[in-house]
Amino acid sequence: MAEHENGTSTGRGGHSRRRFLRGSGLAAASAVLTSQANVALDEAKAEAQAPDGPEALSGDVTLTLQVDGRELSCVVEPRSTLLDTLRNRLDVTGPKRVCDRASCGACTVIVDGDAVYSCTTLAVSCKGKAIETVEGFETGEGGVPHAFHQHDALMCGYCTPGFVTACKAFLDANPGKEPTLEDVKRGLDGNICRCGTYIGVFEAALAAAKTMKGA
Amino acid sequence: MKAFAYLSPTTPEDAVKALAAPGTVEALSGGTDLIGRMKDYVASPERVVYLKDVKALAGIVEKDGATAIGAGTRLVDLVSSATIRDRLPALWQATTEVGTPQIRNMATVGGNLLQRPRCWYYRNGFGLLAMKDGKSLVRAGDNRYHAIFMTDGDALFVNPSSLAVPLIALGATATILGPGGERTVPVEQLYRVPKADADREQTLAPGELLAAVTVPAGVGKNASYEVRQKQAHDWPLVMTSVHLKMDGDSVREARVVLYGVAPIPWRSEAAEKAVVGGLVTRERAEAVAKAAAEGAKPLSNNGYKVALVRTTVKRALLSAVGDRYWQEG
Repeated sequence: MAEHENGTSTGRGGHSRRRFLRGSGLAAASAVLTSQANVALDEAKAEAQAPDGPEALSGDVTLTLQVDGRELSCVVEPRSTLLDTLRNRLDVTGPKRVCDRASCGACTVIVDGDAVYSCTTLAVSCKGKAIETVEGFETGEGGVPHAFHQHDALMCGYCTPGFVTACKAFLDANPGKEPTLEDVKRGLDGNICRCGTYIGVFEAALAAAKTMKGA
Repeated sequence: MKAFAYLSPTTPEDAVKALAAPGTVEALSGGTDLIGRMKDYVASPERVVYLKDVKALAGIVEKDGATAIGAGTRLVDLVSSATIRDRLPALWQATTEVGTPQIRNMATVGGNLLQRPRCWYYRNGFGLLAMKDGKSLVRAGDNRYHAIFMTDGDALFVNPSSLAVPLIALGATATILGPGGERTVPVEQLYRVPKADADREQTLAPGELLAAVTVPAGVGKNASYEVRQKQAHDWPLVMTSVHLKMDGDSVREARVVLYGVAPIPWRSEAAEKAVVGGLVTRERAEAVAKAAAEGAKPLSNNGYKVALVRTTVKRALLSAVGDRYWQEG
């Protein structure tokens, strides 16, 4: 966590735009929570329990997730998506919130080896699963992030963490194979870049595949 | 998204109990449909029952020539199954292009079959029939993706399941678990045409759970052909699945089912009748395709679908017998 804070600090008094935004967002969120959600939650809790079925989770739930090899704990509601939990509760801000509707791919993370949209996955359903985000990737030569850098595979950069993650999941799922351009297009068609840097992305993916095969 | 209580049963019995308890409830699997609807307040259940921890619901099993596919089987597992690819190409072809790689990693067979319509009036809270002041918003508005058959009625959305169409063509049955035990119905009976906004377009009773679909033994030649606006992130505009049981080169029995043209997966009896009793040549396929499009009554913006019906029926038929002329040179 500390490393990320340093990276985005303005250097003036240790404040950062990110820290300020996070603080004010939480304050607003808790104001809404106290006024409305608690009433609804109490009602839900009372009605939720099936007579003799499995246990129901509601209200605040303490959750431990395995993220990039670390065990991270937080308190969330069952309705929190994996994306919002990672970004707002666990300070894992690599996955980006763009469409929030499983349509753009910026939030892509790898859960138990499969690329998924974290904006459309409930955090509580990821208990006990291995979650990999772009923050845990190898950034040296030979890694997917390096290939994106070398092939100028980004413009504004907002889709990039999702593309890098989808690309790593695609290459990991096809080890030892050198994909064709068509394979790469199909493998990455769950992500959208509105700047249109697809050519760079495809070149980076092909180059990373070549490096990984050689490794 | 409104707050809800979350249950994650691990056995089908517990899942049924959780689904059958009183109050509004939604079954959650891949989440690619339900979570979006909850975020948009189109669905606000009091309880959400997560089904992916019910491991008994996932998997593909071959038995006595039949193929049973658990409702919890992910689409990616269907696509990577050699059995599905070789024996049930109509199903395989309809699954490979669903959504995106991420969606196919998340989404399940049951979730695909039971997703709610994509009609943008429904998705914006106007209800399945999208009536306002006694008038249809669909008829008066943008209906480019809506139905072209059964348009005399009030339900003008199209059934959104890509998998229902090949499964119905293949004569698959659905195994349903409920508080009263197990029942089996043909897949087409999972759907109905709603007459009022309070009706659902699906027939599962409260507390029921789709457990599996089974394609019976004795599968004939089969194929799907679809037309899309975009190559990814989308549903087909129109798709046709065909299943032909042959006597030598002649068609003895046929099913022709279409996606994207009606509020239910659309079985074209006209096309089925026209194809039985002869060879599948390009000329006959064209005649069958023409028969399939007869009786279509498009809305103001979707007349183009009539041409897509003809193209997809013709190409699905020819694809089933190995003539993919559109891929040549």
